[in-house]
Amino acid sequence: MSEIFIHGASAFTCGANDDVKHLKNELSRYTPDNFRRVNRFILLTLLGARQCIYEHSLDPGTAVYLTTEHGNLGETAQVLDEIYLANSLPKPFGFINTMSNTAAFYLAQNLGVRGRNIIVSSQHLSFERGLELVKADFAGGAERSALLGGVDEASLSRMFIEGQGGRGWQMVDGSGWLYVRTEKDGACGEIKEIRSFRDGASCVMWITEKSPVDVVSFGALIDDYEAAKLRGALRPAAEFDYLREYGYSGSATACGVGMFVRHFPGKTMMHINKDQRGHYAVIELEMF
Amino acid sequence: MICSLGDSIEGIVDSVRNKRIKLAHLPFDLARLPYTKPYYLIQRNDGDKLENRSEHYFYDILFSTVSHALADAGLNSAEIKDMDVFFGSTSMDVPVFESNYRKTSSTVAGMFLQSSYGYGKIAVTIMEKFGIAGSCYSFATACTSSANALLYAASMIEAQRIERALVVGYDLFSNLGFYGFEALKSIAAAEYRPFDKNRDGLILGEACGAIVLEGCRRKSGDLMHLGGANLCDTYSVTSHDAEGSVVAETMKRALKQARLGTGDIYAVKAHATGTEINDSTEAAAMKLVFGNEIPPVTCVKPFIGHTAGACGVIEQILFTESVRAGFSPSTPGFRERDEQLNLTPLTKNMDADEGNFMLNYFGFGGNCTTLILSNKASMG
Repeated sequence: MSEIFIHGASAFTCGANDDVKHLKNELSRYTPDNFRRVNRFILLTLLGARQCIYEHSLDPGTAVYLTTEHGNLGETAQVLDEIYLANSLPKPFGFINTMSNTAAFYLAQNLGVRGRNIIVSSQHLSFERGLELVKADFAGGAERSALLGGVDEASLSRMFIEGQGGRGWQMVDGSGWLYVRTEKDGACGEIKEIRSFRDGASCVMWITEKSPVDVVSFGALIDDYEAAKLRGALRPAAEFDYLREYGYSGSATACGVGMFVRHFPGKTMMHINKDQRGHYAVIELEMF
Repeated sequence: MICSLGDSIEGIVDSVRNKRIKLAHLPFDLARLPYTKPYYLIQRNDGDKLENRSEHYFYDILFSTVSHALADAGLNSAEIKDMDVFFGSTSMDVPVFESNYRKTSSTVAGMFLQSSYGYGKIAVTIMEKFGIAGSCYSFATACTSSANALLYAASMIEAQRIERALVVGYDLFSNLGFYGFEALKSIAAAEYRPFDKNRDGLILGEACGAIVLEGCRRKSGDLMHLGGANLCDTYSVTSHDAEGSVVAETMKRALKQARLGTGDIYAVKAHATGTEINDSTEAAAMKLVFGNEIPPVTCVKPFIGHTAGACGVIEQILFTESVRAGFSPSTPGFRERDEQLNLTPLTKNMDADEGNFMLNYFGFGGNCTTLILSNKASMG
């Protein structure tokens, strides 16, 4: 595969009810810009990405790939209530901010970058699909430098209630980011592989043939029984259970990968995830 | 594709050829405003009426469109199973929540938060319905959503990462969009007039379209994707830099990726929203790219409306099917040249020959996407 080197990472999580002022205060540690007309989703995007590229100077051609399960859920709900309950036209910037790409726009504007600006989603595998787009763009020469993130507000979504609610994880807002480049100089790690499988058997077969890794982590839909089976095939030295330690959001994978990059120097990791169709995706990382 | 002009490609192309347009006028009852605004509504029968719509209707339109596209492409079940799905939309499943709302006493916000399966839900539903086993990617980049879906589907096929793709653009009427654009004062009073001196805004439309892409031509006349580009203009969240520099750079990069020069473009499908500033920016950008040799420009929104995130797929279908039928569409509604723009789009249908075509799409959040297509027999 084309080479994707990691130059920075972040994982910001906070409680679902945390005040927006808290997010703005936290963001002010990373940028002097004052953001008016922005909402929680946009602030989460800015905060996670700003933490990721802290002390890096970006190439103006840097691309932004924002992955999300639910997008700008909170603002969309508010605007719908303005129309249906308050019987009024929505506030113009409220309406504009229902479009999730405004978050990626404000990020690009704040950073002064004008590369590709893409928002992509794929139930339970959004971050992995975003990484596939980065891989395609790096391989095709369309981009050489990118911010790839996952951002989601905590929500009482049906997906959460039906899929993960029984596991006892704390529901959080999450914003996890990687700053990746085609250049190795200055990198702290590398994405060695991003691979998708249409069933569990082919995923197990592939990871069985891989060298043992230091750390394994699992996505939200991998239950304890399946995790044990995958651990047996992979024989990792340790497991990083980021969901139990830091909580669940629609962008938990992005946060988990970001946390691994920041906290496990010198280690290798395989993150195994699946969607409700039983499709699997594996991200393999090596930290230097 | 299903749009205000109907649900048969032949009928839609015939309407375009003969400048037949079906425009509805919708009230803003919820906001108690004493006027209506035009909208390109799907109006085939009583089932299409807004008050009769439901979640079932939403998926009926979607499945019918996809079913026709798969049949038209002549794919067998193994080929269908092997596809990846690329979906683009601005409203995603907001119309579903709005139609459900009419039948419950819950607040929309409460119901929306508790019933959201996320942006990826619609693409997964397509895959389950048609037995598609590949990966799915749902793009949410406002009005460039399905154009970006096309861009990535084509590039992944070209790089031989996938064999074929189903690309769907879908935006159905929603009060969120209709009231939202009215709040922005962006909706024209009566008529769509892109690039006209007296243009006064956009008119929204609803449509669903599906395109099957694969690495080789199945039929003569199939158009081929030669390249594309996407950039972000950070000038403003609502509009692009009036000088058009980033928009122009997007077009230049797309040409470069397609290994074409400006003189190789036979016609341009402009984004042409019909708003004062967007048309001005796009005209300026075309001058930066083509100088005084701007190819014939066509604007298809006056036929079907601005279909928001679906417009990437919808306008590609409308344009390429017209080309296959032998013409580049004219621009209804254009009457008076704007000397500030110094650009006159096609006012009569132009015979379409073999050539390379540029398709431009722009959106909120500074998103700029250009695609280059060709129907030349020598290509591919």
